Amino acid sequence: MKSILRNIMLLLVAVSLTTTSCDDGFAELNTNPNAANEIDPNYQFTWVQLRTSGGRYENWRAGLIYSSMMMQHMSALCGYWTGDKYTYNAGYSSSLFDRQYTEAIRDVQDLINTLESGAAGDQTMLGMARIWRVVIFHRLTDMYGDVPYFQAGKGFLEGVDLPEFDAQEAIYDDMLKELEEAVAQIGSDGGFGSADLIFAGDTDKWKRLGNSLMLRLGMRLSEVDAAKAQQWVGKAISGGVLQAGEDAFIEHTNGPEGINRNGIGEVLDKSNGFGDDCPRISETFMNWLKDHNDPRLSIIASPSANTGEFVGLPNGLDATTIINNPTGDELDDFSPVNQAIVNVASPMMFITSGETELLLAEASVRGWNNGDAATHYENGVRNAINMWAAYGFPVDAGDIDAYLAANPFDAANAMQQIGEQYWAATFLNEYETFANWRRTGYPELTAVNYPGNVTNGTIPVRLALPQGELGVNPNMRTALDRQGMGTDFAGHLTVPVWWDAN
Amino acid sequence: MLKQFLITACLALLTAVPALAQQTVSGTITAENGDPLIGVNVVEAGTVNGVLSDLDGNYTIEVSQGASITFSYTGFETITVEVGNQSTIDVTLQEGVQLDEVVVTALGVEKQKKALTYSVTELAPEGFSEARETNVVNSLAGKVAGVNVASTATGAGGSSRVIIRGNNSLSGSNQPLYVIDGVPIDNKNLGAAGMWGGADGGDGISSINPEDIASISVLKGTSAAALYGYRSANGVIEITTKSGASRRGIGVEFSSQLRLSSLIDTYDFQREYGHGLDGTKPTTEAEALAQGLYSWGERLDGSSVMQFDGVSRPYSDVGNNADRFYRTGSTWINTLTLTGGSDKVNFRFSASNMDNEDILPNSGLTRRNFTLRTNAKVSERLTATLSAMYVYEDALNRPRLSDSPGNANYTALSLPASINVEDLRGDPNKLGAIGDGTELQFNDNIFVTNPYWAAYQFENNTQKNRLLGKIQLQYDLTDDLYVRGKIGLDRYTYRSRNLTPYGTAYSPFGQISETNNEVQELNTEILLGFDKDLTDNISLTLFAGGNQQRNFDETLGGSGSQFNVPFFHSIINTANRSVSFGFGEWQVNSLFGSAELGLMRSIYLSGTYRNDWFSTLTTPDGSSENNQGYYSAGISAVVSELVDLPSAISFLKFRTSYATGSGPGVAASPYQLNLTYGIFGQGHLGNPLGGVSNGSIPNANLTPLLTKEFEAGFDLSLFGGRFDVDFTYYDRRTEGDIISAAVSSTSGFGSKIVNLGEMTNSGVEVLLNANIIRNENFSWDANFNFANNQNEVVSLLTPEQDGESLRAGESRTRNAYIEHVEGLPYSQIAGFAYNRNEDGEIIIGANGLPEQGEFTHFGTGVSPVTMGFGSTFRYKNLSLNFLIDMRSGGKLYSATNAFAYTRGLHQNTLVGRETGIGPIEAADLEDYYQYIGSNITEQFVYDADFGKLRQVVLNYTLPSSIIEGLPVSGVTVGVAGRNLAILWSGAENIDPESNYNVGNAQGLEMFGVPATRNVQFNLNVKF
Repeated sequence: MKSILRNIMLLLVAVSLTTTSCDDGFAELNTNPNAANEIDPNYQFTWVQLRTSGGRYENWRAGLIYSSMMMQHMSALCGYWTGDKYTYNAGYSSSLFDRQYTEAIRDVQDLINTLESGAAGDQTMLGMARIWRVVIFHRLTDMYGDVPYFQAGKGFLEGVDLPEFDAQEAIYDDMLKELEEAVAQIGSDGGFGSADLIFAGDTDKWKRLGNSLMLRLGMRLSEVDAAKAQQWVGKAISGGVLQAGEDAFIEHTNGPEGINRNGIGEVLDKSNGFGDDCPRISETFMNWLKDHNDPRLSIIASPSANTGEFVGLPNGLDATTIINNPTGDELDDFSPVNQAIVNVASPMMFITSGETELLLAEASVRGWNNGDAATHYENGVRNAINMWAAYGFPVDAGDIDAYLAANPFDAANAMQQIGEQYWAATFLNEYETFANWRRTGYPELTAVNYPGNVTNGTIPVRLALPQGELGVNPNMRTALDRQGMGTDFAGHLTVPVWWDAN
Repeated sequence: MLKQFLITACLALLTAVPALAQQTVSGTITAENGDPLIGVNVVEAGTVNGVLSDLDGNYTIEVSQGASITFSYTGFETITVEVGNQSTIDVTLQEGVQLDEVVVTALGVEKQKKALTYSVTELAPEGFSEARETNVVNSLAGKVAGVNVASTATGAGGSSRVIIRGNNSLSGSNQPLYVIDGVPIDNKNLGAAGMWGGADGGDGISSINPEDIASISVLKGTSAAALYGYRSANGVIEITTKSGASRRGIGVEFSSQLRLSSLIDTYDFQREYGHGLDGTKPTTEAEALAQGLYSWGERLDGSSVMQFDGVSRPYSDVGNNADRFYRTGSTWINTLTLTGGSDKVNFRFSASNMDNEDILPNSGLTRRNFTLRTNAKVSERLTATLSAMYVYEDALNRPRLSDSPGNANYTALSLPASINVEDLRGDPNKLGAIGDGTELQFNDNIFVTNPYWAAYQFENNTQKNRLLGKIQLQYDLTDDLYVRGKIGLDRYTYRSRNLTPYGTAYSPFGQISETNNEVQELNTEILLGFDKDLTDNISLTLFAGGNQQRNFDETLGGSGSQFNVPFFHSIINTANRSVSFGFGEWQVNSLFGSAELGLMRSIYLSGTYRNDWFSTLTTPDGSSENNQGYYSAGISAVVSELVDLPSAISFLKFRTSYATGSGPGVAASPYQLNLTYGIFGQGHLGNPLGGVSNGSIPNANLTPLLTKEFEAGFDLSLFGGRFDVDFTYYDRRTEGDIISAAVSSTSGFGSKIVNLGEMTNSGVEVLLNANIIRNENFSWDANFNFANNQNEVVSLLTPEQDGESLRAGESRTRNAYIEHVEGLPYSQIAGFAYNRNEDGEIIIGANGLPEQGEFTHFGTGVSPVTMGFGSTFRYKNLSLNFLIDMRSGGKLYSATNAFAYTRGLHQNTLVGRETGIGPIEAADLEDYYQYIGSNITEQFVYDADFGKLRQVVLNYTLPSSIIEGLPVSGVTVGVAGRNLAILWSGAENIDPESNYNVGNAQGLEMFGVPATRNVQFNLNVKF
């Protein structure tokens, strides 16, 4: 009996040894050895910038398939290039919305929160991050109208998992206020330095970037609230906007990961393992370049594979209807986009000095700017052409002079001329092309009327939000009601956003 | 193949070890009252050699020397007698088998069945090897009331979804814990298809060789499984493997099986109109390419038509493409078993090889199992068990499912009637390719892959090396008191290679990934037990112990894109390479105890308690609540022992119990309590990169879900065991379910993790067993089982708010979803109904298209009702057994049918093609049907009801007169069928069991591997 008791005692000791306090070492065990609990704001800012440039997913769908097609920069025969034909594909339409909140906005809000708390970084960083936040958000509201803004990206920070959809007017008011405050916040030192992929942390350029965005956003209001537009345009100009050569773009590289690559390049670059061969340069854009004898033609387009000529593909055709087309009856009769500018390592433009000058020209035409419209126009065109140097295609100053001489500022048709040049200047920044076209109506694009289109043969004026969001977030219903939209999502494509008032 | 079968069989005969002499044993079997017992199973122990007693209770059996004979008879105690030198063995069987029948319960503890206060179903693996499934758990389908086995359309190496008494959790796994010889194993699903495609990677339980299984014990409810604590809620399946027996010499058994599988052609698409659009057929190659997927052309008239390759062919029905593309699958299984032992030590070793060629060409599975189990009585008080199972699995081209890229099924099953799949074969030396070695495209959508290219040029190969091992020591301190220690290991390496070859249309330069996943679970358990009859009427069983579970899961992967040298498919040859690394480690410590008090050998009171501590719920500062306790309490009463009942009632027991438990979700999810940042080592232009790594909003206050279950039931046996009833009612509630709630993506996150879900499951389980006829030469048994589980999602995110829903999945059509909705059963198929007028007629809008109606929940993707009817006939040496498996009440959304609408392939799209429908012109019908295909979910939601002839097994044991003189002691030959026929089905064109994954979004189908009908030839030789 004694030995039994001894055995029991030994056993109990063994049990207690194996389970000391029952959770020994658990805290350490549950600390992820491969993730950090804090992050350097520099790392996160670079990350956010690349995320804003975006992946293949949304650049393909919202950018190329919808925007570039609707804007007749490009055209396609393939049925899934729905933007050419004004048909509705739910996933393509909502792609920008679907990706930007979880990829760019989550981290920019987190970054701003860190900077505001003072836990790391400085005020200049905060100003830059706030400006960048506007870069992200204005594209979303321009594309989709009322979207979550004030509460967006705060699922962890503030526990808001079903953000409200804010009215576009309120979003614009706040973005403009943010830009004003952010520019003022940027000091002469501090900031992100080389972690800033746009201007390598140059604080002066960042102030001008903020003001140029203010100019863009202010001008966006020209039709819906001209007084407010003029007020903000004035502030932007007096603050100073981007100078020649100061184009805000991100330099991409060929991998190693998707995030390093240009999202447009991931779609179109055939040297990168995959190239979607569907799109060609639109006949509309091609003819405009030709009519103006534009030096950008051979930068933007490549000759057709079959004929060696520069031929644009008319919009709204498919593999069947192309047969009766007089300028070519198969895809390779038409000019593709020059592979050299849609490389995975190509730059991604966000806002350029060319388009900024063109907006200044418009402001002068409207009488909102003291400057000379013709000068701004010429600067705009010149800067827009010089932008291609960043892609490896510098254009001789003489060629630009000749181009300007042949296409001088025409005060009588200034708005159209500026609008068309803006359209040409924002090629591959299709979100911006689409927004400015809706505001100004230039260039005057002829809509196609493809069988089965959902817009009654008109060019869409927005993209539809994700249908799935409606089931998750009841706040979306309020926003649809507010904008007079029902649950026929295809029908949303014809409903103008708030600032699109003309 | 048949030839190979015969050769192997002959070789086996020739190489057989010299036979042990046979001896004949005969005798008479009687009941205690002296009545002869008719139809008693008389079986040579450890073999399938057996006979039945005749009308006078007499039997004669040939057995090998040194054998034992087991006598079993329903309603009576089973006894085993060593033959020794006896030639006559008369036995008297005692009534009341249930009184002392022993079953395996939680932690591998054996208990008397009558003492159980909850329902446990124990079954022998009958037919498991003769009508074999590549995944052994599929063999449970239809056999156990309350066990719902959903196989998936994932091919031979795929996973299965086993659900016992309904789904408990909306986010965690709902599958049971598998325990082999007392050791929990990992049953992780190694990859699943989703809306964007993918492949099933197999699961853990599929590795087990059915021939190693001696018995399976299904612990259905929380009470039965309560001692497994946080792993109890989904039930436990305890598998006991065969062990050796004391015998003279070494027993050798060889079995060989050949299984042939063929496609069950459920597809009935229209064969009247050919490829084309807008009612015209293509005239140019470009048009033919653009229209290659559509059947909106002209009526097939045999005229010449342009096809995708520029060749004109007759515009006519080319016949069955599925038959051309798929092949007859074959599975060849050979198993060698050695057994031996003495009084002190025994062993069993088996080696098995399975070679499977799936019906999908160039796809298959090889599995090799080596199993060793030894038991040793080291001393009078010390026993030791050592067992090890090594499994090697090599899967060739696990089929891609759902979305089109790389999915051969997608195209092979959806070609227009006028296009012959064999015209897509391309280069005979490189199937699916054109002359330059790149993909032969037959349509202009680069993402719809040529099926031959997908099957022969894509690679999706996996290898698994797995070791399951156990060492157990038990020391009897006294006759009543023992201590038991156990270490159990499950470790495997899962290696996968996934290739999108150079020249693929959507990825011209190709890409590759090579991944290595290391998974381990180690359990160390120590237990002190006490078991004593205190008086004649009072017995006490006590035990207490602790367990430490430690897991890790590490994935190291390399991926690369852009092969530099064309067609040289090595990751070394890629221009862009990246490395990924995933790591998780966690631990659960447990203390548990159990007590059972028996009164008058007929009333039993039992209770258990277990407390689990979780590393995954421990925050860095250690402040979080990181443990949870679980208990059970129950009572059983054998009424037939206590009261005098009518003589027809041989046995009657009532039982009831209550228990709390939990599911596995949170315990195995480390590092999710706080916000973390991922660092992306490659950086960008020299700048480091990093961002928030949580896709879900983290929550530091997580606790495991809690289930509370009440169950009650009875066991009734009538007419001396000729008719048995087992009935159970249960009611279970899940609280604090961890929900990965689909928040608005505008919050910055895809979901949030909260402890808010509440769900109930209640239902009944009925098991009926009848021995209808039993005489010397003929017996007929029948059994029926029925279960109905009613599930309701009670509450989701906000307790006070009703009607909330949670999205769990989405179909590739982007028009059907799976949602969990308050007030409705788990996993609702959701989407848009038709807009109908008051008379229920579909409203056609001004645009000539049906109107999209309300967003509707059409029903659950999990069948609430499961039924099985089986029967066994024995005539002399011949036995025939069949099983019909039935489900009802579930739904399935079929994307295959939705695509068939869009493509003009569905029979329904013939309606009005030339005449129009009412006001809709014929010319607009293409738009009309396409609109339905992509906008009206309702049209493609089917009843997932079915009845299937699951299993038929025919066995013939060669009479001793035939094998006399041969060096063998027994030969059984047989033929068996599995899934022979779909007797009825609620779905069109597809198998109603075509879910493409085993997750919590059940009810979605899309272009999986077609169902197969299997016929298997069996040979078993004993020496």
